Amino acid sequence: MLKIKNLHAGVEGNEILNGIDLEVKAGEVHAIMGPNGSGKSTLAAVIAGKEEFEVTEGTIELEGEDLDETSPEERAHKGVFLSFQYPVEIPGVSVTNFMKTAINESRKARGLEDMPANIMLKLIREKSELLEIDRKFLSRSLNEGFSGGEKKRNEIFQMAMLEPKLAILDETDSGLDIDALRIVANGVNKLKSQENAVIVITHYQRLLDYIVPDFVHVLHEGKIVKSGTKDLALELEEKGYDWIKNETLV
Amino acid sequence: MAYTEEELKKELETKEYEYGFYTDIASETFPKGLSEEIVIAISQKKEEPAWMTNWRLEAYRSWVQMKEPEWANVKYKKPDFQDISYYSAPNSKAKYESLDEVDPELLETFKKLGISIDEQKKLAGVAVDIVMDSVSVATTFKKTLAEKGIIFCSISEAIKEHPELVQKYLGTVVPQKDNFYAALNSAVFSDGSFCYIPKGVRCPMELSTYFRINQAGTGQFERTLVIADKDSYVSYLEGCTAPSRDENQLHAAVVELIALDEAEIKYSTVQNWFPGDKEGKGGVYNFVTKRGLCEKNAKISWTQVETGSAITWKYPSCILKGDNSIGEFYSIAVTNNYQQADTGTKMVHLGKNTRSTIISKGISAGKSQNSYRGLVQINGRAKNARNFSQCDSLLMGNECGAHTFPYIEVKNKTAQIEHEATTSKIGEDQIFYCNQRGIDTEKAIALIVNGFSKEVLNKLPMEFAVEAQKLLEISLEGSVG
Amino acid sequence: MDLKDKLISSFLAFENNVDVDHPVHDIRSEAIKNFESKGFPNRKQEAWKYTSLNSLQKTNFSIFPKEVNALEYKEVKKYFLHEVDTFKIVFIDGVYSSFLSETTHDGVDICLMSAALSKPVYKKVIDEYFNKIASKEESLTTLNTAFSKEGAFIFIPKGKMPIKPVEILHFTTGTTEASLLLQPRNLIVAEEKAELQVIERHQSLTKNEVLTNCVTEIFAAKNSIVDYYKVQNDLDNASLIDNTYIDQKDSSVVKIHTFSFGGKLTRNNLNFYQNGERIDSTMKGVTILGKKQHVDHHTLVHHKEPNCESHQDYKGIYGDKSTGVFNGKIIVDKVAQKTNAFQQNNNILISDKATINTKPQLEIFADDVKCSHGCTIGQLDEEALFYLQSRGIPKKEAAALLMYAFANNVLESVRIPELKRRINTLIAKKLGVELGFNL
Repeated sequence: MLKIKNLHAGVEGNEILNGIDLEVKAGEVHAIMGPNGSGKSTLAAVIAGKEEFEVTEGTIELEGEDLDETSPEERAHKGVFLSFQYPVEIPGVSVTNFMKTAINESRKARGLEDMPANIMLKLIREKSELLEIDRKFLSRSLNEGFSGGEKKRNEIFQMAMLEPKLAILDETDSGLDIDALRIVANGVNKLKSQENAVIVITHYQRLLDYIVPDFVHVLHEGKIVKSGTKDLALELEEKGYDWIKNETLV
Repeated sequence: MAYTEEELKKELETKEYEYGFYTDIASETFPKGLSEEIVIAISQKKEEPAWMTNWRLEAYRSWVQMKEPEWANVKYKKPDFQDISYYSAPNSKAKYESLDEVDPELLETFKKLGISIDEQKKLAGVAVDIVMDSVSVATTFKKTLAEKGIIFCSISEAIKEHPELVQKYLGTVVPQKDNFYAALNSAVFSDGSFCYIPKGVRCPMELSTYFRINQAGTGQFERTLVIADKDSYVSYLEGCTAPSRDENQLHAAVVELIALDEAEIKYSTVQNWFPGDKEGKGGVYNFVTKRGLCEKNAKISWTQVETGSAITWKYPSCILKGDNSIGEFYSIAVTNNYQQADTGTKMVHLGKNTRSTIISKGISAGKSQNSYRGLVQINGRAKNARNFSQCDSLLMGNECGAHTFPYIEVKNKTAQIEHEATTSKIGEDQIFYCNQRGIDTEKAIALIVNGFSKEVLNKLPMEFAVEAQKLLEISLEGSVG
Repeated sequence: MDLKDKLISSFLAFENNVDVDHPVHDIRSEAIKNFESKGFPNRKQEAWKYTSLNSLQKTNFSIFPKEVNALEYKEVKKYFLHEVDTFKIVFIDGVYSSFLSETTHDGVDICLMSAALSKPVYKKVIDEYFNKIASKEESLTTLNTAFSKEGAFIFIPKGKMPIKPVEILHFTTGTTEASLLLQPRNLIVAEEKAELQVIERHQSLTKNEVLTNCVTEIFAAKNSIVDYYKVQNDLDNASLIDNTYIDQKDSSVVKIHTFSFGGKLTRNNLNFYQNGERIDSTMKGVTILGKKQHVDHHTLVHHKEPNCESHQDYKGIYGDKSTGVFNGKIIVDKVAQKTNAFQQNNNILISDKATINTKPQLEIFADDVKCSHGCTIGQLDEEALFYLQSRGIPKKEAAALLMYAFANNVLESVRIPELKRRINTLIAKKLGVELGFNL
C-alpha cells in the first residue's frame, strides 16, 4: 500500500526527516512512536503533501504510484486521510456541509456524480452513530468551539465518511479522556479491514491498548531507529525514550 | 463613446463578465446634459402632473448648488454630469397583457439573466416588476396583488394613478436636498418601483424588481418608494445585473421605505453590476441613497450582497423614530480587482426602546479597497436603546485593503452599545485541512468565504441566497493563485 | 485680533529672544509658515469632528510667560511622588524652576530643552531627533514647533537606565488680566537597550485660565523600553492639547498610560509609528469626567513593518454634562504582515446629559494580520450592584466599586506602586467616595 524509501524532508533547508524507510501493507496497523521533535508529525504532513515541507530526497509511493508532485487534494482523492493533531476551525461551515463538499469533490475526481442527498443523509446517520456523535453537533461550525475530544471524534467521523485506503492518525489520543479514547479507538477498529491500512502516530502507549498495532516503529531525529511488534511499545513505556536515545548513541 | 458590435463580440468571447451581453433595442434617448429644460422635458415625457415637475425643479435647483461628496474612501474620475443623457426609454412602450407581446429580444435578455417571467416565478412566489433602462415594461401578478389591495407598479404609474400617496410620502425620508446624488436623482429620476401595502395586509409573495443598465451613456436614476401601512408586512427583493461595457456608468438611485406603526419591511438586494475588467477599466459607479423610517413598533431590515460596481457608495439606513422600533442591516460586500466599496449603514435611534443590529462582512481580494462606514446615533430621548454591531473583514492577497470607520454617538445613559470588528485572512492551515479532505483550493476558498458570510446569507430569502452564494464564488474566481 | 493673527504677529517678538542662527530656528520659521496657511483646526475636519476650539480662539491669551514666579514647595508638594525618589523637571508658568527641580547629567541627561538647544554638546542629538517625528502638517503641532523653546529634554544613552523615574511637572498660576498660553516642547530619546520611566503632569494652581499646547517626541531605539504616564487632573479653567509622537525601532516597547480626570477641554493626540520589527506599542487610558468637561482621545498606530503588536485599552466613565471622544486609528501597511493589533474601548454613561462619541477605525492593507477592535457603551450591571448592596455596601460605594473594577485592568499595568495608589485615590475622589480600593 505505502512504500517510503530513504525519505528526506524539511522546512527552509532545515532537515527534519533524515532518511525514512517504511512499508505498510493493506490490512496492517503500524504505530510510529518517538519523543517530541523526532519528526512524527512532519512525516504525517509530508505523506499528506503539505507544501510547507520540501522533500529533498527519496520517494513516497501509494499503491505503486509515486506521490511526488501530487497536491494534497489529489492524495486525498487517492485515499490518503490525515487525522490532524490540531484540527482547524472553519467558522460558518457546518460539519455536514463540509463533509458533503469533501465527498462530492472526491467523487468528482473519480468521475462520479454527486452523492444523492438521501444516501448522504443515511451515511451521515450511520457513521455518526458509530462515533456516538449527536446530530446537533453536525450542524455546528467545523471545529469551532469544539472540545478537544469533540475535535478528535469529528476527525474519525470524517475518516469514516471518506473511507480512506490509508489513514494516518496524528496524536489522535492527545487531549482525550478515557471514554472519548475508547469511542475513537472503537470507531477506528470498526473501520479497519483487509483493504485498508492505518498508521497511528503517538507519544504514549495508551492508545495502542485499544488500537493494537502489527508493527511499532520508533522515530528519533528523523530516522526510524527501531522497529518491532507491539511489545516494543510496552518496553518503551517502561524504559522511556532515553533508552532509545542511549541505544542509538551506542 | 461609441460602442460597436465588434467590440461587444470581443467582450463576449472573453466571457469575463457572466452577464455581459447587450440588448439591441431601438431606444429613444435624450441629448446629453442637464438643465431646467431637460428636467421639465423628462417630466413632460412622462406626462407628469405639475406638482411633480415642480418637485423635480426644486431638486434640480438645490443640486446645482451642491458639491460632490469627497469624504468616502474611494478614488475615481468624477463623472461629467453634462456628458450624460438623462432619459432613455425602450421604444416598445405599449402595455402587455401577455408575454407574447413583449419584444422577444428583451425576453431573451431576461432569460440570460435567469429571470423567468412565467409560471415558475408564481410557484416560487415572486412577482417581478422589470425595469429595463428606466421604463417599466412588464409587471406580472398584479392581479393577485390587487385582490389584497396591494399596489405594486412603476413609480411613473403611481404618480398618475396614486398621486395622493406619492405626494404624501415621496421625499419624506430622503429629502430632495439630502445629498448630492439624492438631489440629482430627485431631479431626473426616470422610473422605479412603487409599492403600497394596506393596513393589516401581509404581502403573500416576495416582491421583486430587476434593474438593468443597458443603453450606452445613459445614467440610471431609479426611484423606489415602499410604504407599509399599519400592521402590514412586505418582503422586497432587488436584484441587479448590468451588461459589460468600457465606459463608466453612473447609477444614482434613491430608495425610501416607510414602515408605519407595527409594520415590517424586509428589503433584500443582490447587486452585481459590471465591476470593470481586470485592469480596472470600466464598471458602474453606484451612488445610492437608501433609507427607511420606522414608526412605532415597526421594523425595517436591509440585507445586501454587493459584488459588483467599480465604485460603491451606499449606506442603507434606518431612522428609528417610533418607540420600540427595530432596524437591521446585514451586508456582504465583496471587492476584487480594482473595485472600491465604501458601504455601511446609519442607525438613528430617536424613539424609546429602539433596537438595531448591524452585521457587516467585507471581503477584499485583488487590488480592491473595501470600507465599512457606519453610524450608530443614540439621541438624548432614546431611552433604553440597544445596538449590536459586528464588522468582519476578510483579506485575500496582500494588495487589497480593508477599512472600518464606525462612528458611535451616544447621548443617553441608558443606551447599550456593543461594537466588534475583526480583520483576518484565510489561513493556510484552513486551506490545507480542506485539501487533505479532497477539496481543492478554489473550492476551499468558496467554502470558507461562504462560512464567513453565513450570518448574512441566512437572512436572504431562499432563492436569493442560492443566487448570492453563486455570485460570491464568481466574484472571487481566480483571486487566489 | 483673533488668536491666530496674534500668534503670527508675536512670532517676530519671539525671535528676539531666541538664537536665530541655530538650525532649529529654520524649523521654527518653516513651522510658523505652515501654521499660518492652515490655521486652527475646525469641526469640518474629520479629526476635529467632535471637538471645537472656537471658544478658545476667542480668548485673550498672553503668549509669553512671565519671567519670575516663585512657589513654595509646600504649595505643590502634593503633586509630587514621595515614596520613590524621582528626577524632577518643574516649570512654573512655562519657566523652569531650578528650586523645585532635580536634574542630572550623570551618565544620562535629564534636563531642559532650552539647555539642549543652546549647548553645543547636545547639537548632535538635536540635529538627529528634534522635530523628526512630530507632524509637519498638523497645525497645532506646527504652532508648538514654531514657538518651541522650553520643555523637558531626556537623553538615555545605549544600555543605560536612570536610577529613578522622571517627573515632568508644569504648574500654572496665570494672571488675572489675560489667559495664559503655554507651549512646552519635550524631547525624549532612549538609545539601544535603554530604559526609562516618565510621569508627566500639567497642573493649574489658580482660577486663571490657561491653555497648554504641548508636543512630546519620543524615540525608542532597538530593544529600549519606555514607560510613560500622563496624569491629567487639572482644574476647570485649564485646557490641554497634548500631542505625542513616538518613533519605535526593532523590539522596543513603549507603553503610555493616560489618566484623564480633569480640565475643561483635553485633547490627546497619541501617534505611534512602528519603524522596525517585533515592536510592542501599548496605550491605555482611564477617563472619568463630570461637569462640562470634554476629553478627546485620538490614537494612531501606524504598523509599518512585519511582526509587530499594538494594544489599546481605553475605559471611560462620563457623568454630568461631560463629553468623551475616542478615535482610535490603526493602519497596517502592505509589508506589515503578521501584525497583531488590538483595540478596546469601553464606556459607561452615568448621566442623562453626558455624551460619548467613539470611532474606532481600522485601515488594513496587509492580509496576514490579526486586528480587532471592540467598543461598548453601557451602564453598570444592575445585578452586580444589587449583589453588593445586599452585602451591606451602600449604593454609591457599590457603584464606585463597580466602576473601579471596570477601569481596573488599565491600572493593573501601572508599574510604579505609589502612582498606582495615587491614581486609585484620584478615581475614588472623582467618583465621590472614600474607599481605599486596595482590595
